[in-house]
Amino acid sequence: MRFAGLRTLFAIVIVAGLPQVASAQTVGFADAIKILAASCGKDITAHCESASLANNGIMQCLDQNQAKVSQQCNADRAVVAGLIQARLAAQAEAPKVCQRDAAQYCKGVKPGAGHILRCLLKAEPSVSKKCNTAIDLAGYR
Amino acid sequence: MNKFILAGVSAALVMSAAAGSQAQTKLSRNEIINSLQGAQQEVDINADQIQKAAIENIEKYPGANSPQSLPLADKLASLRQFNIEITFHFDSATIAPESYEAVGLIADALHTPYLQGQTFVIVGHTDAKGARDYNLELSIKRAQAVREALATTFRVPGETLASVGLGEEQLRDPASPDAAVNRRVQLINLGYK
Repeated sequence: MRFAGLRTLFAIVIVAGLPQVASAQTVGFADAIKILAASCGKDITAHCESASLANNGIMQCLDQNQAKVSQQCNADRAVVAGLIQARLAAQAEAPKVCQRDAAQYCKGVKPGAGHILRCLLKAEPSVSKKCNTAIDLAGYR
Repeated sequence: MNKFILAGVSAALVMSAAAGSQAQTKLSRNEIINSLQGAQQEVDINADQIQKAAIENIEKYPGANSPQSLPLADKLASLRQFNIEITFHFDSATIAPESYEAVGLIADALHTPYLQGQTFVIVGHTDAKGARDYNLELSIKRAQAVREALATTFRVPGETLASVGLGEEQLRDPASPDAAVNRRVQLINLGYK
């Protein structure tokens, strides 16, 4: 699991270093929070057993105990928060970026229940690079 | 710097190999989506009614184990749904770290356009060990904990999520009331508002 932490750290370093590489990946919520469980699981059990995963409870507790928790956990906490944020931002962005493609290639498709997304996925070869990238970053493919 | 990049690449290889070997058995976001999508347009049942049914069942048919299944059971069974095991600390509503990933998977599913705009109820269930009203309370708190984690940490729109606890009133395996399979969290699609 240390590998996972390292790998995502690098993903972030690469994104930060080369912002023009917009296709740098984002990860899903499950993969992001898995890093927290792997890096901080023992510390959570030891110091934050009654803290809640909700309302930033775990993060706050680990923060308060940062002198006691492992180095890996201290390093990966911010990584995990950043990954969740990145995915949320990408998902908020995708419908905006794909608006024109949807209007062009999915005329008459009823919005809702993922109909537009299904249409855009099917039309992938014609869909703009920007929109295809936005769909990838949102984790919708 | 080169050394670090190499480390990154080899880590990526390890990751993809692991993902490949687990693909058959591991729960995926798409399984959750497939089970939940295609809900009826209008579902004439809400979270409060489900919760009330469980409380009434305990009052009406007291005893160690319920002799009567929930009146709404058939109706609930007809809805799009998914069962997922989430581990909590013993006798507590705190989600254990080994289940963070499972909660994240639910979030991944609920954030896709396939399920957006629909409402979901998170239903907590226990096995039949212990008193029924105690189990009911615990399951209510556990379902709430999952709901809160989804709505805050993973920003699933709170207005689309309700939670109820059914304690041991709707066992998944009534033949083995104490079996672990009964301890689960169920996601039910209540359709479009």
